[in-house]
Amino acid sequence: MMAISSPKGSGVGSPKAPTLPLPSPKAPPGYPDLYGKRREISRLHMLEREISFLEEELKSSEGFQPASRCCKEIDDFVMAKADPLLPTKKKKSRSSRFWKWLCCTPCSTLCSCLCCCCCCEPRCCDGCSKHLSLPSCSCCQHLRQCSCCKCVTPKSNCCRGSNSGCCKGSCGCQNCCIPPSCKCLSCCSCKCSCSCTCPTCPKLPQSCCCIKSCWSPCCCC
Amino acid sequence: MSVAELKERHLAATETLNNLKQRLNQTRRSLLDTDVAGYARSQGKNPVTFGPTDLVCCRTLQGHTGKVYSLDWTSEKNRIVSASQDGRLIVWNALTRQKIHAIKLPCSWVMTCAFSPTGQSIACGGLDNVCSIINLNSATDKDGNLPVTRMLSGHKGYISSCQYVPDEDTHLITGSGDQTCVLWDITTGLKTSVFGGEFQSGHTADVLSVSINGSNSRIFASGSCDATARLWDTRVASRAVRAFHGHERDVNSVKFFPDGNRFGTGSEDGTCRLFDIRTGHQLQVYSQKHSDNETHPVTSIAFSISGRLLFAGYTNGDCYVWDTLLAKVVLNLGSLQDSHESRITCLGLAADGSALCTGSWDTNLKIWAFGGHRRVI
Repeated sequence: MMAISSPKGSGVGSPKAPTLPLPSPKAPPGYPDLYGKRREISRLHMLEREISFLEEELKSSEGFQPASRCCKEIDDFVMAKADPLLPTKKKKSRSSRFWKWLCCTPCSTLCSCLCCCCCCEPRCCDGCSKHLSLPSCSCCQHLRQCSCCKCVTPKSNCCRGSNSGCCKGSCGCQNCCIPPSCKCLSCCSCKCSCSCTCPTCPKLPQSCCCIKSCWSPCCCC
Repeated sequence: MSVAELKERHLAATETLNNLKQRLNQTRRSLLDTDVAGYARSQGKNPVTFGPTDLVCCRTLQGHTGKVYSLDWTSEKNRIVSASQDGRLIVWNALTRQKIHAIKLPCSWVMTCAFSPTGQSIACGGLDNVCSIINLNSATDKDGNLPVTRMLSGHKGYISSCQYVPDEDTHLITGSGDQTCVLWDITTGLKTSVFGGEFQSGHTADVLSVSINGSNSRIFASGSCDATARLWDTRVASRAVRAFHGHERDVNSVKFFPDGNRFGTGSEDGTCRLFDIRTGHQLQVYSQKHSDNETHPVTSIAFSISGRLLFAGYTNGDCYVWDTLLAKVVLNLGSLQDSHESRITCLGLAADGSALCTGSWDTNLKIWAFGGHRRVI
């Protein structure tokens, strides 16, 4: 008979109720683990399937060609196909020109002193490298301005022309002016420090010289 | 049959399987008489040599505010779609750097994107387990966003990779974290075929990458966290045509070789490999330690149009250009001027092979093209 414990606060002096026996869970019934069996059957089927696939593959491998034949096929294919990204002698094609014009704008006539290794004017690179005895020049940082370049030696040759845009920090030119067309500040950060003589403004006093901009030979003070 | 008997048969089958695998490996080893580099050397091949200005960064596409995870070119070569952690797709005019579309996605955790063959639609997917289709010609909603025109639901895991079937705007293949690949009919939004999965022979871990054979669009390859690549025929979904073993860790990227009879893989183990689809041979391993003398995982790969160059992006920001024939690194785009400042996550070649686009955790995309000069014949 189950003992019933009295509720709390049932009263002083009420008799102590017998405590319940401690729980003793029974072992699970011995029914078959159907889920486990089905899982094993499924795994076995998959294994048997893999075995049949492997047997098929083993049989077909008897007819496989050796790796050298595959390598020859690759070699033949690669050598026969033109590739616009490869630096090889080839006829210029329309598609290879496609990214070429994107890569650079035509080099200016300032190629005489500046190495312009952009693909548009290959003769610039040739001429410059002979002039400066450089094996190669690194290309323009901002390809909108092919006149910007990084010459290795001598720095004073970098900005010979008055319109030259100097690359930041690369030429160390002191007398380079910021061209009005230069929109790329990182490209042309040299300060203007040219002197003016106002030869075309005889009516103006000599003191009224170009102050604000070296591009205006005469300006009002 | 009792469970005990089943377990016995299971053990016996496992032993048979292992024996067969051994015999197959022995057969394969006997056929591996050379690799691609060995053959090329025997033919006296000269390595590709790049001058310092031969491959240059022509364009930097700036605009994403989060890591770039995926990119794809259009077939007509001058538009790119990119997907970023900032929750946007951007369609770029690669020539002018203009942003043609900036599409805010309903789920910002996008992992993959792809242009349809006609360039009219984009597919994307990610941690929402759904592949969304966006028609670029549809009218924008009141917020100025292009709406999702179709949602391909059914994967039980994230969408890691997607690619349209060549020349078919109505079918695409997805790879998923649920270990399956799916061929979808976009018109109906339904699955046409499921490759792999619980009751089929397929990958045993997340699928990370898919690549459809450009020469035979019924064949595609997938790469997985189970360290294998698998070849599939869309007409036979019940089993892979072949599994390709060799990598020691996750296969992060697969790409078909231009001839359609081989494909390349890039892996977490830091190597790229070239496999033959007809024989299963591993034809070449491309492995080189980096400047810090460490091995870094490969995140993405692409072949040049001739297959002579293999571009591989790494987690440390390097982008090796491999001479595929001689298995040598001929250039590291990561060391050039204007290179990415962080991990390269995706690569893609323009349709005409004249430019490479890379995407990075530094939020930028960069376009690389041949900047040198060629002598005209």
